[in-house]
Amino acid sequence: MHDQDRKVVGMIGLFDEPNALIAAAEKVRDAGYTKWDCHTPYPLHGLDDAMGLKPSPMPYITLTAGLIGGCLGMYMMYWMSAVDYPVRIGGKPYFSWPAFVPITFEAFVLFAGLATMGGMIKLTKLGRWASPLHDNDVMVEVTTTRLGVVLEAEDPKFTQEAAQALLDETGCQDIRVLYAPEDEASEDEASEDDDAATEHGEV
Amino acid sequence: MTDATTPTPLPTPDASAGAARGGTLTKIGLALLGIGVVLCAIAFFDEDSRTRFGFGYMIGFTFVWAIVLGSLFFVALQHATSSVWSVVLRRVAEMLASPMLLIGLMFVPMLFVAILHPDSTIFPWRNPTTEMAKHAVHVKGTYLSESGFMIRMALFFAIWIFFTWFFVRGSLKQDAGAGPGVAARMKKWSGPFIILFGFTATFASFDWLMSLEPNWFSTIYGVYVFGGITLSGLAAITLAVVGLKRSGHIAPELIRGDHLYSLGGLLFAFTCFWGYIAFSQFMLIWYANMPEETIYFTKRLSNGWGPVTVALAFVRFVIPFFFLLSRHAKMNERKLAQISVFILLGQLLDLYWLVMPNYFGADGPGLGYQEFGPVLLFGGAVLVAIARFMRRNEMVASKDPAFEASRQFHLH
Repeated sequence: MHDQDRKVVGMIGLFDEPNALIAAAEKVRDAGYTKWDCHTPYPLHGLDDAMGLKPSPMPYITLTAGLIGGCLGMYMMYWMSAVDYPVRIGGKPYFSWPAFVPITFEAFVLFAGLATMGGMIKLTKLGRWASPLHDNDVMVEVTTTRLGVVLEAEDPKFTQEAAQALLDETGCQDIRVLYAPEDEASEDEASEDDDAATEHGEV
Repeated sequence: MTDATTPTPLPTPDASAGAARGGTLTKIGLALLGIGVVLCAIAFFDEDSRTRFGFGYMIGFTFVWAIVLGSLFFVALQHATSSVWSVVLRRVAEMLASPMLLIGLMFVPMLFVAILHPDSTIFPWRNPTTEMAKHAVHVKGTYLSESGFMIRMALFFAIWIFFTWFFVRGSLKQDAGAGPGVAARMKKWSGPFIILFGFTATFASFDWLMSLEPNWFSTIYGVYVFGGITLSGLAAITLAVVGLKRSGHIAPELIRGDHLYSLGGLLFAFTCFWGYIAFSQFMLIWYANMPEETIYFTKRLSNGWGPVTVALAFVRFVIPFFFLLSRHAKMNERKLAQISVFILLGQLLDLYWLVMPNYFGADGPGLGYQEFGPVLLFGGAVLVAIARFMRRNEMVASKDPAFEASRQFHLH
């Protein structure tokens, strides 16, 4: 099958210099693209700003979950010790809050920790086991020696010509079109068949 | 765009800048010192308030002691861990640690009054009048003795003053062009000093603060006071770094968000540490409910002291915790300076809470010139000493081998 026959999923510009990538990211950001990403083999300082990434909402998720967990922990101890099965211990009141603080703290940490993990998985969209972008040979390069900026075809501003022009403008010497994997067409058909089967089943 | 690969040249230090530095600070320090001297003199020569003045003296003294010793601990910690981030601001910590000899001199009057004049001492074990105090002396007399106290004081101050001299002098020698051997020697001795610091700070806290209630004991007390020492040192360093940056004595481009965030992170960490230790001490004593232990908290929760205890929990833990929680607050120099002042005020409240119930007791908390006088006196004296250091020395350790790396320090 020829490249021309396959579906275009995006375009990548490859760089060798971190500063060139950051400059390119600034250009793409200013051009108003929304569905695009940078790939580097190592953390690159200043890239977040250059890409115009907003601060992550993760801290608020963690704090909210932690506070909820803390309240639930304290409520659980109150309910168990003062409502459901009150036992007088050491002559102290049923609701002896200092004794419940460690459990409140533990519940806070547990909820915050689990919410952080769940939120991270959700926000970073982990769990997509495959992506057409990642099934390209170019991924080998950007995870070892080179740096790349990828413009996805799903972006409303994306046309092959515009993307080419934008990457040319950044001074990129190595621009490649990314195509969907060869077997995607047959996968699409297979999934349509699945959908059809499900519909039949429901009927 | 700032990047590690394109370093900007370091502004050359202005040789005449030293003379101009610290002028305002000297004036403020002298003003505080003057007011403090007057208030202290009134309190001391008034027979009725002399004992109360002794307790106030302890608050003021331990307040400046904690700042200076905490800064010294910070310096040693940076050497021990070969920290890169802190090199651009380590001179500020050295500056704050430098008045250690002055701290030693400040203790001399206390030693005279407390040990040589048992009638006006604030230490019950020196002049046991109650049965409780007599029992304490009977049981703990080997430790709580006149000679033991004096030997320990001499030893503690000798260690602290020597290592202050060692670390500050070493860093200043680097300015004058000493080789890399100095840095290696400071690193080598930072570990042993930290061990000595742990012991001396713990036993000093027993001698100065816990022995005000000689019948009571808590094995975590030294750790509690250590939390206060470290927090005061960090807060003073942060405040001084921001102040020196704002006034242009440290080139503003040297102290970036990455450095401030590290300071803010440490402040946050030790705020949590203090909360953890303070609550652990309280909860274990509350749970076990042994009279000889609970007396400490009973004293601080009854007769009007309850609100002070609750205020302490908020001022020392809850407010700084939520203030410093966000990344923004840890990187914003204005917010960091505000919370540093707040943490230092929290340290004063903490010391008040540790010391003054032993004077007021059932009368409930009180606040007067007897407490303010020593704080102003010692605070002013330390400010004058710091201003003198500023006049004589550079404000950045620019010849440190790791200085260039520290300038380019980036958090990931």
